[in-house]
Amino acid sequence: MKIPEKLNAPLRMAIVSMIICGLVFPVAVTGIAELAFPFQANGEQATFNNTSIGSYLIAQEFTAPVFFHPRNDSASGVDPDIMLSSAYAQIPGISNSTGISSSILHGIVDNFVSYTMFFFGTPYINVLQVNLYLVEHYSSVYSKYVKAG
Amino acid sequence: MHTLVSIPDALSIVAVWAIVILMAWVLGGYLYAIYTGKKGRLDRFFDPVERFIYRLAGVDPSREMSSKDYFLNLIILNAFQCGLAFVILSFQSYLPLNPQHFPNLSWDLSLNTALSISSNTNLQHYGGGSSLSYLSQMMAIQFLQFTSAATGLSVAVAIFRGFSGRFGGIGNFYYDFVRSLTRVLIPLSFVAAIILVALGIPQTLNGYVLVKTLEGGSQVLKVGPVASLVSIMQLGTNGGGYYGANSAYPYQNPSPLTNWVEIVLMMLIPTAVIFLFGRMVGNRKEGNVILVSSYTLYAIDLVISFITVTTIGPGMEVRFGAFSSVFWTVTTTAFTTGSVNASLAAFNPLVILAAFMGMLIQATPGGIGVGTMYMLMYIVMTVFIVGLMAGRTPEYLGAKITPRDVKLAVIAFLSHPLIILVPTALAYSMGAAGAVGAGKGPVGFIEIFYEFTSAAANNGSDFLGTSANTVFFNVSTGIVMWLGRFIPIAVMISIAGNMSGRVRNIQAGLRTDNLIFAAVLVFSIMILVVLTFFPFLVLGPILSYLEGIPNGL
Amino acid sequence: MDSDAERGILTGKSAPEEKKPKLPVAKILEESIVRMNPAKLISNPVMFVVELTFFLVGIMAIDPTLFPVVSSGSEQVFYVYVAVILGITVWFSTLSDSIAEAQIRATASNLRKIEQEVKAKKLDGDRKVTEVSSKDLRKGDMILIEKGDGIPIDCEVLEGLAMVDESLLTGESALVKKAPSDVLIGGSILMSDSLVALVSVNPEETYLSKLISMVESSKRPKTPNETAISILLLGLTVIFTIIVAAILWLSIELNLGVDLSVLIALYVCLLPTTIGALLPAIGISGINRMSRDRIIAKSGKSIEAAGDTDSLLLDKTGTITFGNRMATEFIPLGGHSAREVGEASFLSSWNDDTPEGRSIIDLAFREGFVPKEFSSIGRAESMEFSAVTRMSSVKLEDADDFHLPKGGRDILQRRRVRRKYLNPDSGVELEISKGAPDAIKGSVPECPEGFDSTVTEISSSGDTAMGVTVGDEIVGIIRLKDKLKPGIREKIESVKVMGIKPLMITGDQPETARNIASEVGIDNFVSRAKPETKFTVVREEQQGGKVVAMIGDGTNDAPALAAADVGLAMATGTMAAKEAANLVDLESNPAKIIDVVMLGKQLLMTRGAVTTFSISNDIAKYFAIVPIMFASLSVLQKINILGLSPHVAVLAALIFNAAIIPALIPLAMKGTRFKPRSTMSIFLRNAVTYGLGGIALPFIGIEAIGLLLRLTFGGSL
Repeated sequence: MKIPEKLNAPLRMAIVSMIICGLVFPVAVTGIAELAFPFQANGEQATFNNTSIGSYLIAQEFTAPVFFHPRNDSASGVDPDIMLSSAYAQIPGISNSTGISSSILHGIVDNFVSYTMFFFGTPYINVLQVNLYLVEHYSSVYSKYVKAG
Repeated sequence: MHTLVSIPDALSIVAVWAIVILMAWVLGGYLYAIYTGKKGRLDRFFDPVERFIYRLAGVDPSREMSSKDYFLNLIILNAFQCGLAFVILSFQSYLPLNPQHFPNLSWDLSLNTALSISSNTNLQHYGGGSSLSYLSQMMAIQFLQFTSAATGLSVAVAIFRGFSGRFGGIGNFYYDFVRSLTRVLIPLSFVAAIILVALGIPQTLNGYVLVKTLEGGSQVLKVGPVASLVSIMQLGTNGGGYYGANSAYPYQNPSPLTNWVEIVLMMLIPTAVIFLFGRMVGNRKEGNVILVSSYTLYAIDLVISFITVTTIGPGMEVRFGAFSSVFWTVTTTAFTTGSVNASLAAFNPLVILAAFMGMLIQATPGGIGVGTMYMLMYIVMTVFIVGLMAGRTPEYLGAKITPRDVKLAVIAFLSHPLIILVPTALAYSMGAAGAVGAGKGPVGFIEIFYEFTSAAANNGSDFLGTSANTVFFNVSTGIVMWLGRFIPIAVMISIAGNMSGRVRNIQAGLRTDNLIFAAVLVFSIMILVVLTFFPFLVLGPILSYLEGIPNGL
Repeated sequence: MDSDAERGILTGKSAPEEKKPKLPVAKILEESIVRMNPAKLISNPVMFVVELTFFLVGIMAIDPTLFPVVSSGSEQVFYVYVAVILGITVWFSTLSDSIAEAQIRATASNLRKIEQEVKAKKLDGDRKVTEVSSKDLRKGDMILIEKGDGIPIDCEVLEGLAMVDESLLTGESALVKKAPSDVLIGGSILMSDSLVALVSVNPEETYLSKLISMVESSKRPKTPNETAISILLLGLTVIFTIIVAAILWLSIELNLGVDLSVLIALYVCLLPTTIGALLPAIGISGINRMSRDRIIAKSGKSIEAAGDTDSLLLDKTGTITFGNRMATEFIPLGGHSAREVGEASFLSSWNDDTPEGRSIIDLAFREGFVPKEFSSIGRAESMEFSAVTRMSSVKLEDADDFHLPKGGRDILQRRRVRRKYLNPDSGVELEISKGAPDAIKGSVPECPEGFDSTVTEISSSGDTAMGVTVGDEIVGIIRLKDKLKPGIREKIESVKVMGIKPLMITGDQPETARNIASEVGIDNFVSRAKPETKFTVVREEQQGGKVVAMIGDGTNDAPALAAADVGLAMATGTMAAKEAANLVDLESNPAKIIDVVMLGKQLLMTRGAVTTFSISNDIAKYFAIVPIMFASLSVLQKINILGLSPHVAVLAALIFNAAIIPALIPLAMKGTRFKPRSTMSIFLRNAVTYGLGGIALPFIGIEAIGLLLRLTFGGSL
């Protein structure tokens, strides 16, 4: 089959650009990323007892009343964070089920606060970070709820 | 009494603008050097690479092209690229790098996706994280995101050459296209991608990770070659995310910092292109007028969006907060990127109105390359309408505006409402709107009207998302996206080709390089766009606002 | 107030009888109705569309049931109102056309009075006179014109010298002297003596008939800007058609309750009806104003190009100064006497037909410096002024017997003198020359002391010096004084203010040129210009893409006139010049080029102003109609900032839309008010007046009309 003159160059350019942009570029970026930033490149996975139990960036389901719970309405559906006010609202319940005093829980939560505008804006916490902290520091309370690791 | 925005919020806007404008100013100088063939230290590296590409493609980058020639090569190349992506999407299950064993996309979804990404629209009727293989993400999506951005840059450069009349023509398409890739988009995306990985965005070809959660449930971590895609999709004002939830999805936008980095990325090149314009026409003030006008329009959009206080609520991500979500939404439409970091349904109607303004004007500052192109279309119309009042045949950059220019600019301007309104009306009369659950009230109307506005403006944000994956919407928006992309490009390249040879008379007539003209231009754009779309904005977001619909449509 | 703006820009001495042309009202009305015929109106798409909507609403008024869903039987009276206003809108536009056309016909009929058919005395080969109608004359015929005759047709004098009254054409009452090779324009009247002339055009090609046909031609080709505006208007019409169709469709789909008549009202209000209706009238009025000032434009394009002028080439002579520089002094040099200089000047100027030459003879005669060689002057071999040598000279025989001709004061009519005093005496041959100082200097072996300093002194005082030689010796210098035309300084200033570069061209010495130029405020001049200089200057000026305007009358000017973007030829100029130019001034007043430039600008401004005004108006109309358009969406009342009830809002907007057309007819006819200012300040003034004003006025207007409607109709609307 003969390709008309006018179509020859565009067709070849299309293939060349596909190889460069669609293959060479992402593979090169992957190579460097995996070498330089393996933790981030693989999705900031959280480990517990040396086993991956998920990602700090992706909300995971918590059902037991001893944990802080993520939101279940949100744009992505996997919002890993809750507002500080929402965390505070969950503290009495968690305190009841774990016996950890509200003031201690407040202290723990406050340690994990980030802000939407760096140092300003709305304070929020990462649910998995706080829950992992609780699991690691109050293992007597939490061990029966933890199935991973 | 609420203030519109808090002081730190306002300062953050100022800071981002300042950073972007500074970076764009530097980048503008670099763009000028590479598109005018200035010798540089990097030539030693780039020249052999480009020569190799030219040889593989069999093109002569030094051949001066007519405007018709330039456009034909451009659209044929885009068609082939679109076709390649279509094939990959349609047959991804038979191809490698598909660890999740996703099935082939349907013909209409493949078609829509290929047309969508190649037209720099990135309307997503597919769920990226749940239906595209790694190969599809790379060799269909990322590939087209690079080439559509390079096409946009080429178009801008060709048009600037013609408008300036200082280059003896509009140049060679392949020269512009290849240099856009090798010297602008690939290096910038590379740096951006590495930064984004460092800030927490995944980049791996290992498959999705199945983990046991803390409570013992199972969870799939949808990692993949994300950072390399996000970098070009923001830089190239594409907007098509790796995931259906786009930049709301934490793997695509993990923190407030990445949020701001991504905002800067999407603003960078369109702003730099404005500086490029000033340099190429030999009067940086002409570029500054476009900069001031487009950022004024952008500021107007922002003011509209902050009239009603937005609070964080369903559909928004906690880590960004309400302000950054609104700011992103206005910015992504002002630059016709179309990536989202929250669900559009989360916003009050005035934010949606501001988003509409960005997409209807398309030059606030608009998408990569084409934003400035639309601004030039408005300038041609404005200079013609008001320029006569100076008592001279209107001139822009010293060249007289001819009836042919006016005719072509009017065609480009006219095509926009046509390709939005006709399919919107069709969607209702063919029952397609009802089929995707769009009601007959203002909310339903907004969803359908927004879908085609976004498609025509090559924006890509939408309300319908994957629910619009029907044959009607796939085919109709696909056609609208290509018409919305290539009619104005064809028209403006034609005007530019014509202007390139026109005699110049630099010092006479209405000056277009001062703030007075910038003010007139902003006024004129507002009036022209308001005139065209006011009734529909009334039926949509304005009606919702008046009915007191707060958040969520 | 600025009277220029009141009277229109051309301030030329328009013939007084035209000041108030009486317009035939009945004829205008009749014609405006005839023009509403859709087949005729289709050339104006905007108004054609309005007429279609008129028919549509008319049908709705007759039988609303034909339009289910979008109309209601209870609204029939309202439909009648809407239809009537739509009809009136169309009529207003045809009316403005008709008024403009009537004005121009009045001008044409005035012109035709001048061109009436007259008897002409045709001469055959044997100089036998045959009486023929002026219509039967052909180019190349020879005619005799005697005292009291009307000049039957444009022609060129072959023999004789006479005074002509051109006031019918030019409004200038002074008689004009005509000598061989001068041009006569058909329609003027011979007041003395008789002339033999050569017909230079066929009857249908005379300048007057060209002027009349320019005026009457209804199918004027559109100027580029008119074309571009028409395209823009068509584009807007298409856009609004799409919008309105989409609203209609959506209203039916979504049950928004839009009434078709209200939607049509919105449509018509949005259409650029104001500029659509007035665009033709603006163009016609421009041609009309040109014709009243006796300028023939070969195309509307050249008037528009005049508005774009960047460089204006002005001949010093005739435009800036009167040009008839008068000799005031004979300055002897090298031991010669003033008498010797005067007599030599007399002789050298004998065949010099220019005003300067005549003034030299006049001065010499008054001083009593009449030379004895006068008797031999008939056989003299004369070398007319040549632009190459820049000298004129005469070779004659030295003679002793000389008699002053009878009626010495009439000596200026020296052609007759020549015939009487032919004297075949023989003697020593004498060559006498006069000319530009440097040319004279170059023609003699040595230059007397004081020559250069005297020339410099004369030049630097703004006067002109001419050297005089007898044989190969310079005997002295003639001083000629020039006079500026009144008001020229102000005109030049206004030209400069508008960003136009005036450029003076003269054959004078650089010193003289600099003096005149600085006196009138011109920075750029070309001195010692040769005939081809004009062409070179035009080409040079055009280099930067500049639009160049110039005037000219000689054959030498023809290439430059053809090259210039705007070339204004004098009707008294040569045929070649008139052919090459795109504008011809019947009054032959070179300074009029400035007025033509102003008129061009004003036409462009008027078009831009009405277009901008028309588009700006739409905002208020949207705010009047859109809030009440969707009957089922009562919440939109919140943005009903005009607060008018549905019927009142629609009618008030439509009435405003219609009424603005006749209200702006005077603007279209006279043009926007306009004083010479910088381009940017002119722009700003117009942008504020017609842009911002165009946004604000309809808000006020519609609200006021709404109030009036409520007062008149009370609650019945």
